Amino acid sequence: MRFIVIALLIIGSGITAWNLRPAPVPDYWTEQEIALIKSLSLSNLPPLPADPSNQYADNENAAKFGQQLYFDTRLSGSGNFSCASCHKPELNFTDGLELAVAAGAGTRHTPSLIGLSYSPWYYWDGRKDSQWSQALAPLEAINEHDTNRLAIARLIESDPAYLETYRTIFGELPELPALNVGAAPVGRNETMSNWNKLDPSEQDAINRVFSNVGKALAAYQRRLIPGRGRFDDYADLLDTSDPRTDVGELEANEIAGLNLFIGRAQCINCHNGPLLTNHEFHNNGVLVVSGQLPPMGRYDGVRIARDDPFNCLGEYSDAEASECVELRFARDSNDLVGAHKTPTLRNIAETAPYMHGGQLATLDEVLRHYNEAPVSMLSHNEAKPLDLRQAELDQLKSFLLTLSAPLATDSHWLQAPLVTLPANQ
Amino acid sequence: MIKKSFFSLCLWVVWSSSQLQAQQPLWQLQSESGLTLSLFSQLEPIEINRIHSWELLIEDSAGNPVTAATINVEGGMPEHDHGLPTSPRVTSEIEAGRYLLEGVRFHMQGLWQIIFTIDTGNAVEELMLDFDL
Repeated sequence: MRFIVIALLIIGSGITAWNLRPAPVPDYWTEQEIALIKSLSLSNLPPLPADPSNQYADNENAAKFGQQLYFDTRLSGSGNFSCASCHKPELNFTDGLELAVAAGAGTRHTPSLIGLSYSPWYYWDGRKDSQWSQALAPLEAINEHDTNRLAIARLIESDPAYLETYRTIFGELPELPALNVGAAPVGRNETMSNWNKLDPSEQDAINRVFSNVGKALAAYQRRLIPGRGRFDDYADLLDTSDPRTDVGELEANEIAGLNLFIGRAQCINCHNGPLLTNHEFHNNGVLVVSGQLPPMGRYDGVRIARDDPFNCLGEYSDAEASECVELRFARDSNDLVGAHKTPTLRNIAETAPYMHGGQLATLDEVLRHYNEAPVSMLSHNEAKPLDLRQAELDQLKSFLLTLSAPLATDSHWLQAPLVTLPANQ
Repeated sequence: MIKKSFFSLCLWVVWSSSQLQAQQPLWQLQSESGLTLSLFSQLEPIEINRIHSWELLIEDSAGNPVTAATINVEGGMPEHDHGLPTSPRVTSEIEAGRYLLEGVRFHMQGLWQIIFTIDTGNAVEELMLDFDL
């Protein structure tokens, strides 16, 4: 008996010691590793990609107008919610909740907006192909802003400052139908019924104003760009002619974490480029949100995007069809079942909880999840078990913390505009 | 009769370099029957996460351009068990035997495999490209 207890103690101590043994810190990087590390630096972030579907995307006045709209709670049915209610600037444009809560209970975790303008797809399932089109959907979702496009067009029409700003940017506001109720082709039954009573030219006028509101919101949100973290300074110090790893800026365990990130942990497969995301869709076997059916993810998302009247090929887009390459050549195969979008890792330590349903509360839980790579309930988990020790997971986490930094965006964009426009008078 | 052959032979791999002359193919593949597929990228060097177009020049064993071919493109990362992130398609024949392939994008570094199925009207041939990005 005593022998068994001693043997168990020895085995237990051995396992604990193994788990606590960190990965060694490399003395030197290879040339290929240096290239990989530098590819993640914000120094290699290209200029903002053009959005040909939004001719106002880089219009300063449109961005200012978008900022007004972003923080304006009148863009909700109750008057209580704005975009900033869930995408809070002080929380890196997330809300800190598992699932969003606005006019009702949401079904998805609020993603950060930082650096999102580099993505060709929006929403966790990629159901939107532009930032301006994305901005429209929450406004009419019953559990989000719970308003409707006619109400929003009326707000622009009735607020003198908004009307003047709108005219300056987009030209004359079209004549709106003499209907004193809400109208939209989605949302509440009464609202949809009212929409169906409008003739096509009236619907078009409302859609035009509504899409321009989205374009202004996108012009604002495009400016939310991540700032340089300690990792970026470290990456820029690396030099292939003197490939030492201890060049300053990062501690030994952070360097070891970076080594795991680009190597055995395989994080870089999906979290690549200066924004640490490939903007693509992957099934990572995360548990279904409690009370929900397994989601179809990108499989459904790409089909929704194709049918969206506000997509790149739609009549409210400013793009030529030839410019809508992502939409025209989007993949829709079965392997996209259950796939969700790779988020940026910029400021990831500040944007808990994680995953499309906020299923994982902490970075530690996320790292354990990828280490185990459980079987997916729907389709297959692309990730494979990593068999990393706890100490190595801790090193990975240490590296992830080096990606946090204040945004590069000027602070005046990160709050409600200082000069508030007059309310309805 | 349609002759279907499956043969992949990378004659030479010329890695992307902006120093290359515009007419130099990035890769060239040849089938058993002598069909040659020359691949040109409009984005050099090829980068991850950027959608772009390729041009495909198809020539028969005598070096004559193969016109009016039907080309299907599939691919993925065999080590990761997933396909291409997009569905690239040949959208036009720019000049005799030279085709425009739109919607090419790669979202990971590593080994990629692309299979070109070319129906020349007389035969269907498959050529496979393996390359490291």
